[in-house]
Formats: sequence, C-alpha cells, structure tokens
Amino acid sequence: MSAEAEARARVLRVIAAGRRIQDPNDPLGAEARARLPAVTGLDPKGVELALSAHLETHPTDVELDTLLTRTGRAPRCHVVLAANVCTAPLRALALAAATSPDVVVRPSRRDPVVTDLLVRALSADEAFVRTHHASLTRAASITPAPGDELHVYGSDASIEAVTRGLPAGISVRGHGTGLGLAVVGENAALDDAAEALAWDVVPFDQRGCLSPRFVLVEGRASRAEAFVQALDAALSRAAARVPRGPLDPALAADIALYGATMEAVGLFLARPSHAVGFDPSPRALVLPPAARVVHVVALAPCDVPRLLAPWAPFVTAVGSSNDGALVRAVLERAPFARCSSIGEMQRPPLDGPVDLRSSRA
Amino acid sequence: MRAFASGSLRGAPPEPFDDLALALARFQAAHVPALGRLVRARGIDLATARDASVIPALPCDVFRLARIAAHAPDEDTLVFRTSGTSQGKEARGEHPFRTTATYELVALRWGERMLWPDRQDLGVLVLAPSVEEVADSSLGFMLDLFAHELGGPVSFHVRGGVLDIEGAARATAEARAAGKPALVLGASFAFVHLLDGAGARDLTLPPGSRVMQTGGFKGRSREVEPNELRRAIAALFGVPEAHVVGEYGMTELSSQLYEGTLAAALGAFSPSRHGVYVPPPWMRVTAVDPATLAPRAPGETGILRFVDLANVDSSVAIQTSDLGRVTDEGIELFGRAPGATPRGCSLAIDEVLSRGSS
Repeated sequence: MSAEAEARARVLRVIAAGRRIQDPNDPLGAEARARLPAVTGLDPKGVELALSAHLETHPTDVELDTLLTRTGRAPRCHVVLAANVCTAPLRALALAAATSPDVVVRPSRRDPVVTDLLVRALSADEAFVRTHHASLTRAASITPAPGDELHVYGSDASIEAVTRGLPAGISVRGHGTGLGLAVVGENAALDDAAEALAWDVVPFDQRGCLSPRFVLVEGRASRAEAFVQALDAALSRAAARVPRGPLDPALAADIALYGATMEAVGLFLARPSHAVGFDPSPRALVLPPAARVVHVVALAPCDVPRLLAPWAPFVTAVGSSNDGALVRAVLERAPFARCSSIGEMQRPPLDGPVDLRSSRA
Repeated sequence: MRAFASGSLRGAPPEPFDDLALALARFQAAHVPALGRLVRARGIDLATARDASVIPALPCDVFRLARIAAHAPDEDTLVFRTSGTSQGKEARGEHPFRTTATYELVALRWGERMLWPDRQDLGVLVLAPSVEEVADSSLGFMLDLFAHELGGPVSFHVRGGVLDIEGAARATAEARAAGKPALVLGASFAFVHLLDGAGARDLTLPPGSRVMQTGGFKGRSREVEPNELRRAIAALFGVPEAHVVGEYGMTELSSQLYEGTLAAALGAFSPSRHGVYVPPPWMRVTAVDPATLAPRAPGETGILRFVDLANVDSSVAIQTSDLGRVTDEGIELFGRAPGATPRGCSLAIDEVLSRGSS
C-alpha cells in the first residue's frame, strides 16, 4: 500500500471511530451524550445536534483527496487541542492521522470527552493498530522532536505559548480562533435567509469559529430591520427545538453591556434563548458575545472595505444567500474564509482544517 | 454646571446633584439621538424622575459607534478621541465638545484640590507628548492645562513616541539647582520606560515635589505591579510614596478621580490610602451588577457607572466595563471586568480587546 493510501486508510479509521460516537446506541456514543452537557455547557439537545448533525462522518472521496493534499507527512504528529467545539477533535485527529501513523494528542483540559472517546475507539480498532500500524496516544504534555509536525489549536496567545521555545526543525500548524459572518444579498428572501441562518447560529450555541456573529444585510436600513425581526422569530423557533445552554455570569454580563450599546445605537431584541442587535448605519462592527447573539447591520458593498478591514484577519467562514456584490466585496477582504450557503456554514466538508487561513503559528 | 462645580467645592452647591443631573439628562435625551433611543428602549420617564440613578448610562462603546453630542458637528471646537484600537482609526471613540470651558474648570479645580492644594509655583515635567503632538487626546489636553496653570518651568519629554530620558534628567537637575519643587505627570508605561532607562542618573527632585501617574500599560511597556511601580517612582524622584498619586480618567468623561494620599499628606483632605480614588463632588460613582446593570449596595463589587455633571453636551451617565467598589473612602478599581471564558474556537471579545489599546 502506498504512503498515500495508508494515510487515507488511517483517516477512514478515525472517521469510523467518529461514527461510533455519533451512534447513540454505541457505548461510546452513549457516554458522549452523558458527559458532554456538563463539560460543554450545551443543552443535551444541543449536544445531540452537535453529534448527530455536525460530526463529519461521511466525507466524499473528493473531500478526502483534498484533505490529504492539505496535510504534511511526518514521522510523528503531535496535537494540542483547545476547548474548541466538542466535535472538533474528530477533524483534528483525522488531519493528524493523515500526517503520520504515530499521533500524540494532548486533549483540552476543559473538554477532553470526544478526544478520550476517539483514543479509546482507535486503540481498540484492529485495523488502525495492526493493519495500518498506527497509534493514537493521549499525553499530558508534548515533546516534539525535529522532523515532527505539531498541530496547535486555540487562541493566538495559546498557540504562541505552546510553540515558544520549541527546538528547530518542527513543522508547526497553528489553528487559531475566528468568526463567521453571513451576507444577505439584495435579492434574498428575508424569511428564508433568517430561517436558514438560525440553524447556523444554534449549533454549539455559536461558539464555533464558523458560527456567524455578524450579518451584513444589503440595502436600506428598513430592509435590514425586517431581517432582524425575521431572524428573531426564527431563533425563537429554533430554540424551542434546541434550547441554549445556561449562561454563565460573565457571558450574561457581556450580553447586558452589548445590549445597552445596541439599544443606544439602533435596536436590541433580547429573548431568553438568544438576542439580536441591529445597527442601521454602522461606523464600526461590534463583536457580540458568542451565545446565540447576532449583530446585524445594513450595508452597501462600497462600505465593506472600511467596516470589515479590522475583522478580515479573523473571518473563517462566510455564508451567503447569493453571489451578489456584497458577498463579492466581503470575499475580497477575506479570501481564505470558507464559503457556503446560509444554513450550511456549520457543515464544512472534511477536506482539511476548518480554518483555511494561513497557519497562526 | 460651572456654578455647581465651584459651589460644591465650597460645600455649597447651588442646587441638588440629582436635579442638575436629571436636567442634563432630559436635555441630552432630546438632542442626542443615541440617548433618546436608550431612554425609550428602557421605558424611562425622565420628566417625572427625581433620582439620578434612573438615568440610563451610555456604554463607552457607543462613543465609537454614534455621535454623542447635543450640538451639530460644525459647532465642535474640540473632539477628544480614544487611543488607537485593534479596529482601526475609524473605530476610535469620539467625544465632541462645543466648548471646553467646563472641562477646563473642573479639571483645574479638582487637580488643584488633589494635586497642588498647598502651592501653585510648581515646575512641571510631562512624560507624555505635548498637546501639539496629540491634539485629540483628552489626557494630553489635561496635562497641557495643568502645565500652563502652574507657575514653574514646563518641559515635555516624549516626542514622536520616544521618551527623552536625557531631557528628563536635565529638567530634574535644573529643578534641583533652582530648589523648586516640581509636579511630574505621565502615563504609567512612560514611568516604566524611565525606570528601565534611567540607569545611574540622578532624577531626584526638591522637597515638595510630587508625581501623578495615569492609565495602564496597554502593551507599551512591561507590566509592573502598582505598589512596586509606586515605590520605584518614589525612589527615583526622591519623593514620599504618598506624593505619588494615581489618576483615573477616560475620554468619555470630563472629570477625573485621584488617589487622595497627596492631598491628605498636605493636610488638605481626610486620611486616604493608595488604591482608593476620590471623585469630585460633581461626579457620582455607582457599582452596578454586570448582568442586570442594577445598582449594587455600597461596598459590593460591580462594573462602574459614572454620573459626571461636567459631561454637559454628551452623556451625563456613562457605563464602563471597569470593575470597582464604592465605599465611604472612595472608589477602589480592579481593572476591566474579564469577559466570558471562551468555550469554543469563536473569537472572544477579550481577544480582540487585547490586540488593541483603547
């Protein structure tokens, strides 16, 4: 078997392990559902949504081909995980398995659940261990050697802390934090766009780097305000099916201050399950708290460079209702963002890292 | 308002604080659209209100999102802007002034009470750029105001962003030769650079000298624990620690707070300690619950809300995200309230703020 085929086979075993976690009838799937609500702060229905709809367990051959072209090759791959969204370890370990048969992972201290379950599943997977001579080891600390690859997830500060002082010759890939934004073009049906967008906001309670935090609505302020009302209603409907997890005090405080700001600037609709802020004539974008809180602005394509410039380096995902002038202007500023239709922002193909920006390390 | 400031310093304000605060709030709600929206959103009836605590406080962030002024832009005589943020120059907060007369009066009178209650013939060394270099900085404006108010020689020791240590050393030598006490004014990070670069230079000042430091480090110097920095500054200039005073102010406010140790040491104020900031009588500070923005009982920690009567043409009530506690002694400051702990890979508000220096 060629090295490429071996790498693909290892990735497929990681995905198979993910399927076990996805399956509520598998002991690993049951354990995930039992442990994740407390660890993640998501409602149990939010955990179920994450595992059943957002664990990437059915990649196409073409997606896997792309994933393999986007990974390096190394004798050993070390992975340092942060408390990213709870499903993130699957993709991270698939990338690591594509890189090397020998993977060492340091799970997030706060959320080690899916990593632990994948380690257990793969350790017991004869095909992974014996046929493909691969190993996935959980470690409390990592000690990469020259020639190894190191994949680090977390904030830019965390990545810097992990990689500071490493010996030369280690290939480091840093996967930083980011944000998503959605563009509602001038011809979009507002109710449809709002309904679809709600299902980009709800997964992981908006904590993922693909989660939309900003929505740019093309056209007049009155049109954007109509979208705000539609989104508010759509988020309420979505929350009836998948409630938001409990807010911690710091998050509640962030929402209170953001809300007061938006009350002064335009409009703030606060509900028990979510909130929507609206700025009809934005001088700058305000980052809302990541807790199903969406910041909506009315915007013309010519205003994109001014407004988006400070945020462009953080944009990891752009969802849009069409390929109109506004989304083209956005993508000019954020060319490495993953693009999708609204409603599909949280379902990126398993074709490489979620974050396609250049390495943050 | 100027009559209120002068009268309150004499212990005889011409009208109750709450009446003036509410009068300003009514005027501002009618003429500042953002405040009008905030009042309507909260359903507050300012016409019948009797207590300033009902005035909705405008979050500082709004100063960078909307014009906060009761007058038209062509009536601006000066616009103070917050320092650069990670979000670019366009996103800087702006505080426009139709006139700076009130700002000048309250800054000087409270400065006099807390920094030079005993004498006015002080030299001034400024460890900050001159106002010509930072025309839109409220701090620069205030330091310039103090420098010109006091009778002694004035020197500025930051040019083009570079601290002129030799110049500061010369100025202290001249003060020593003349036997004339001086007031040293500057940002905390500038003092750190001076401490780091002073080497064996003699920067001591004549007896009666004093120091005012303000602001944090904002990534512009190494961070130094406040007590350690104060001790080091006192040793560097040869002044008692009580003569090293912290100032708290912000672009969105027109009044300042000071530690009262210097004024107390000079017999002009009741005993005070470092870490406790004293507001002027035309300012009321309340710690509020961060999640509900409702006032907390005295002594409890919350985020600080300021009612500053000197904010005549902007917003009389300002909501910060600075944590603090209000006691009979004054205001204890605990720094910016930490944001929520990130629980995912979505960009955190704190991560954005840490990249800038607003």
